Amino acid sequence: MTRNTVSRGRSRWIAAAAMAAAGAMILSACGGSAPTKGDGSGSDEDLELVLSVVAAPRSLDPAQLDGGTQAYVWGAIYDTLLFRDEAGELQPNAAESWEVSDDALTITFKIREGMTFSNGEPVDAAAVKNNMDRNAVTPGQEQEKFVNVSSVETPDDYTVVVSFSAPDPAFLYNMAVDGGVISDPSTVDDERTPTNPVGSGPYELNVEETVNGSNYVLERRDDYWNVDAYPYETIEVTVLADRTAGLNALLSGQVDFATVQANELGQVQSSGKFNVVEVEGTSTAYLNLADRDGTKVEALGEVNVRRAINYAFDREGIVEKLMFGSGVPAVQPFSPKSDGYNADLEGTYTYDPEKARELLAEAGYADGFTVTMPSTVASQTFEPTITQSLGDIGITVEWVPVPSQNTTAAFANGDYGMYWFTMGSNPTPRDVDNFINSSTQNPFGWSSPELEELLAAADVAIEPEEQAAVYKELSAYIVDQALFAPVFYINTNNVTTEDVKFIGDGTNNFTSIRNFVPAG
Amino acid sequence: MLPYILRRLGIGLLLAVLVTLITFWMLSFSFDGIAAGILGPASSPERIDALQEEMGLNRPVIIQYGEWLFHAVQGDFGISYFTSEPVVGAVLDRLAVTLSIVLVALLLSVIVSVVLGVLAASRAGVIDKTAQGISLLGLIFPNLLIAIVLVLLLSLNLKLLPATGFTPFSEDPLQWLRSITIPVIVLVINGISNMMAQVRGTMVGELQSDYIRTLRSRGISTGAIVYKHALRNAAAPALIVLSLEFIQMFGGALIIENVFALPGFGSFAFNSALQGDIPVIMGVTVFSTLLVVCVNLVTDLINGWLNPKARVY
Repeated sequence: MTRNTVSRGRSRWIAAAAMAAAGAMILSACGGSAPTKGDGSGSDEDLELVLSVVAAPRSLDPAQLDGGTQAYVWGAIYDTLLFRDEAGELQPNAAESWEVSDDALTITFKIREGMTFSNGEPVDAAAVKNNMDRNAVTPGQEQEKFVNVSSVETPDDYTVVVSFSAPDPAFLYNMAVDGGVISDPSTVDDERTPTNPVGSGPYELNVEETVNGSNYVLERRDDYWNVDAYPYETIEVTVLADRTAGLNALLSGQVDFATVQANELGQVQSSGKFNVVEVEGTSTAYLNLADRDGTKVEALGEVNVRRAINYAFDREGIVEKLMFGSGVPAVQPFSPKSDGYNADLEGTYTYDPEKARELLAEAGYADGFTVTMPSTVASQTFEPTITQSLGDIGITVEWVPVPSQNTTAAFANGDYGMYWFTMGSNPTPRDVDNFINSSTQNPFGWSSPELEELLAAADVAIEPEEQAAVYKELSAYIVDQALFAPVFYINTNNVTTEDVKFIGDGTNNFTSIRNFVPAG
Repeated sequence: MLPYILRRLGIGLLLAVLVTLITFWMLSFSFDGIAAGILGPASSPERIDALQEEMGLNRPVIIQYGEWLFHAVQGDFGISYFTSEPVVGAVLDRLAVTLSIVLVALLLSVIVSVVLGVLAASRAGVIDKTAQGISLLGLIFPNLLIAIVLVLLLSLNLKLLPATGFTPFSEDPLQWLRSITIPVIVLVINGISNMMAQVRGTMVGELQSDYIRTLRSRGISTGAIVYKHALRNAAAPALIVLSLEFIQMFGGALIIENVFALPGFGSFAFNSALQGDIPVIMGVTVFSTLLVVCVNLVTDLINGWLNPKARVY
């Protein structure tokens, strides 16, 4: 009897354990997949590219698209009307030509014939119109980009006429990125769109192998009109949020591409098997001195106070010590490769705390003042330096922690007179929108007659050289009036394996799969 | 036994409601930032206000909670604000990944802990000291450090195992095994430390009891004494540690998931909290609460089965 109890007890225990293990295996079968990559190039006909990014696309709904590395995924699935080449020039894409009217209030696009969506539906003017109308009324990231559009007409199947209530120089650039994607009207409002949309782009999402939020497998469409421009048969985008994981994946051969921070480049370079392309000025890091009327922080209403803040920073030192050399000191918000960059402005503000204190005294703040700033994920590394630099000239900084989900609102509500921000670089018209016209960068709705004049001049300058000249003037105005206190431009180190080449020097910062070509 | 189980589950559901209510109330303080987060930094204040209104975020908190609860009991946990996936599907997918790792790690931990713990307790000396040493090391070294060292060694230097990523069992059993090996090793090292010390400690106590002397005097073999009698009595505290270990592994899996880029439950919960993805946070809270309730229930049932005196039903 004793023996029976023992063996039954033990075998029950073993059975329970086996069931648990079996349960685990069955449950795990319900999970998605992140297949390990093969050893690289495969056969010549079947090239595969594996990219690693740090953040997953939020939603693939055309009205919710965001810039940044998300574009590796949606840029492959969707076709855009135009595209921007590495030299920064706008080129035809789904739109084979476009024309801007003399008063800049009408743009006419001619849509290429013969293009289809991945479900076989034709791409025509009606599809383009549907997308633009939808973007204008759907709350989302795109809505603001269509705010100047008064109407979209389709006089024939392949012509789209966009009319504006006011000139919008950023519009054409937006048509080369998220604003210009074309979605299929018959399916765009379906439930599948945010995770598996129908697009007319060079790739299609492989739904079985894709795990939303961590791994996206894209397969090339052989019926795409420009299929020769895309050498890779399969592209996989893996989300590796942790920098160490990304570096490990690169070093172990699991991915072909990762962005690596300067202090970790050593491992990559010592192995000698990777190509490193350092792109300068992909973002600008700066203090936004937003309260230029002095509503919340009276001192910021004085231009000399703002200039004083610009003199407080040892930009070279910060780049070398905090960014490990992977940056460039900055005194103006527009990055070195953009049209608005004015080389004459370099050296306007040097590291001169003496001068800063003089300026403060002139403005009536000889004893300095106190200011509260929001402490966010982006500012944490730099807070001690900012506190010290400003403290040296008499400005006391109090940091208020802001949780990341409230960051956007904290800026946009005008809770803070000045704050630290990092802004990605874009074509200058879009940069102007971001730096000057957006709710997070201009929460107090500040403007001045000179600014209005410059913006109006930029609006009507249709020729690129003319526009660039106006933007350079705008930059000079911004720096002279110290609307911001830029500290440095951030560089990005793009690391690829030996058989992949990253093309791009920063003129066009759009993260597109066209940046990758087979090497050699 | 069935009425007992039902009663426990009922209490568990009530607990879940209470926990979600508190969570929702705490989250409500950040509601005014949601629309701005969705629309992005370039949007205008009017648009932000309009979206806020449209999403119903300005209504009284209790009404918003009531609406969530009404849908939740019907199984509709809503759609993520940020990835636009249905919450239930997303949570279950991620849960499956984490469970496949945690359950395997737990199983291995139990086996190793019991064997080592019993050996250490019944044969004092070198084995005992070694086992205690292992337990101590497992407690001292943080998960993250062990994980990074193992990846460096096994993936980067020896190229035996993948450095990141997860392959489900259904797709490729061998790859699945390879992809979970290092995460499981890391979890097991931590898991063993607590459980083994517990098993050893309780066993030592048990083996010194009078009834053991009685059994020995009756001529029962040492093996039978240890495994049939003493272990059964030592099981109760070990089971409690086991259930705590399970919950802890589940939460601790977050770091492992980040380092190995596993699309698991821990990092999912963490990211949704960071972003303020309310529907997902609520879904994660419900599942976590129910998980803890179930684990405790199962522990009590197993305890009752092993030790009739401890039966509460």
